[in-house]
Amino acid sequence: MTAQTPVPSKQKRPFFLRRGPMENIATGLIGLGFLMLFQPFLLIFYTWSLVTLLAGTLIFIIVSKFPE
Amino acid sequence: MSSVNTAHSVVEPSRTSKRIAATIVIAYAVITMIPLVWIVLTSFKSPPDSISYPPKIVFQPTLEGYCNLFTTRTRQTSEYITSLGAPTSTCDEITRSRNMVIAGPSNYWPRFQNSLVIAFGSTFLAVSLGTLAAYGFSRFKVPLAEDLLFFILSTRMMPPIAVAIPIYLMYRELGLSDTALGMILLYTAVNVSLAVWLLKGFIDEIPREYEEAAMIDGYTRMQAFFKVVLPQATTGIAATAIFCLIFAWNEYAFAVLLTSGAAQTAPPFIPTIIGEGGQDWPAVAAGTTIFVVPILVFTILLRKQLLRGITFGAVRK
Amino acid sequence: MPKFRKETQVTSVTDTSSSLLGKAANATPAPIASRIRGISDRSMAWLFITPAIVLLLAINIFPLIWAIYLSFTNFRANRPNAPIEGVGLSNYSRVLNDPNIWQAMQTTAHFVFWTILLQTLIGFSLAYLIDRKFRGHAFWTTVILVPMMLSPAVVGNFWRFLYQPQIGLFNYIVSFITGVPPSSFEMLGSVQLSPWAIIIVDTWMWTPYVMLICLAGLRSIPDYIYEAAEVDRASLWRQFWSITLPMALPFIMLAVLFRGIENFKMFDMVTLLTGGGPGSTTEVASITLKREAFESWRTGRASAFAIILFVAVFGLANIYVKALNKVKQR
Repeated sequence: MTAQTPVPSKQKRPFFLRRGPMENIATGLIGLGFLMLFQPFLLIFYTWSLVTLLAGTLIFIIVSKFPE
Repeated sequence: MSSVNTAHSVVEPSRTSKRIAATIVIAYAVITMIPLVWIVLTSFKSPPDSISYPPKIVFQPTLEGYCNLFTTRTRQTSEYITSLGAPTSTCDEITRSRNMVIAGPSNYWPRFQNSLVIAFGSTFLAVSLGTLAAYGFSRFKVPLAEDLLFFILSTRMMPPIAVAIPIYLMYRELGLSDTALGMILLYTAVNVSLAVWLLKGFIDEIPREYEEAAMIDGYTRMQAFFKVVLPQATTGIAATAIFCLIFAWNEYAFAVLLTSGAAQTAPPFIPTIIGEGGQDWPAVAAGTTIFVVPILVFTILLRKQLLRGITFGAVRK
Repeated sequence: MPKFRKETQVTSVTDTSSSLLGKAANATPAPIASRIRGISDRSMAWLFITPAIVLLLAINIFPLIWAIYLSFTNFRANRPNAPIEGVGLSNYSRVLNDPNIWQAMQTTAHFVFWTILLQTLIGFSLAYLIDRKFRGHAFWTTVILVPMMLSPAVVGNFWRFLYQPQIGLFNYIVSFITGVPPSSFEMLGSVQLSPWAIIIVDTWMWTPYVMLICLAGLRSIPDYIYEAAEVDRASLWRQFWSITLPMALPFIMLAVLFRGIENFKMFDMVTLLTGGGPGSTTEVASITLKREAFESWRTGRASAFAIILFVAVFGLANIYVKALNKVKQR
């Protein structure tokens, strides 16, 4: 869908520029953000949950532009 | 849901397992219907019957709940009531037997009318805009189409209260608070996302050769859209319209925050129905019954498209 | 995505006459060749899409941006004439350090966790049983689906009646089964029971939703896989764990994510059942937000809270769309 033309060989793309693994990391971050938001143990985790969620979401949006 | 032709041929379940499955599923279905049956039963009870212990299943049905739903009443002395002429209607009779007279109509009917106007108005707009947009996404190469579609979907996922704060301020500035127009626009905006997603699926399924043939015959793109695509998409449009209608009909959060009188719909109104000494449960049940029956009809009409609607068109069968 | 380049060469000649939308008509007198490539197709596309986008921008996106702006100010909607001052991130840091809001988050978490767990378990089991295709299964499926189509507010309100301690049907049935006197417990009035009261109603309402999606998942599993398993003499138990469940998993995920998003922002049903009470035992995030915004009138702070909820939902929505696409490929 996106305008970028895929790089010929997948192997040459560094890990952090490939869509699959980065998308999993972003999903993980969003999940972690939710756990931090919901956990009843430490206020400090709750405080930083927004930043985690935001980071996860931003990474997700950015990497979804990368080719597979 | 109904007749799907993918019967597991080799692994056809045994008769005992079918019987066990049927028993459990029917038991669940019956239990799940109890609250709904109870609503309908309560609406035909008299107020004392409705709060008797143990709960009454057999009772003398009366229309008192429906009378109370549609009227406001004042208590009068029995001398005054006997001085009135003969009762003019059943409701009149029931009310007088409780030492009261009908003072006037209640707000239920105007609220119900608001619900009708707002639900149908917003559905019409959402489906019209949605059909156009869905056709655009389906047939043309739109730059950033995937991002736009996601943006459209994500607007539906916003928490209503979060959106309500700025909407409340904006409507206050524009004079749209507590107006039917304001509610119609708001529900249209929420529904248009569902309409675009669903209708895009339906239009994708119409072979584009039909329009191409029509256009070779001299139709313009617009004519082809109206005379070829729209008739083909009727089922999809009808299903989408019912989904939009159900959402707008059932919506509560925006309605309770943004309307208070003139444009209030039925959902925020029904819980406020009170009689003497607390909630008038037969009247509430009557209001709920009247409100819910159209949805039951729609559910039966929709049952084949239901899955598609609730998954934004992702699951087709 | 459709590729329409070629076809339009034939057809766009006649685009001029589309009098339905004036804009299209005005944009046409250019030579045919130039219109074929650029204007006609692209502007046509925008002509179809723009009305919907404009409406969403006006009613959804503009207010959202306004809320983001307000979240950095001390604005109070009940004092519209007071000067608005920027307060930086302090609204956010207050919300994120407020133990009451943290508490509301945990109440929400409890509600979301148990409703999803119960709905997934019951919903999947029902779907599995309905997939046995006993006689009349289509009819009973439709019956089961009814609650989820109804208004959570209107029906939730009626549950208040069913939960009445002395006269309510729920208490009566529970006492009939367990022998506990029906007036000895209050589903809505007690601190221990009220969180479960809302979980029960939500589960009653939305289990059909999960069931319906799971059923689609089960029906998407092709027969030949089971046939192959049969040939290999895999036990039913084994078939369930290595075929049925993994193959239905994307669908279950879809249902879980959607219910998660919906219940995370749950407002109407809980407001009418308990209004957040007793005390604040059932005060889920949306109710706290409503109180901040429309009762305390701390609009700036409420906006910051709203943005936090929005970011959370938006993050989940991203994953949800990914799951949608996965399911679509089947």
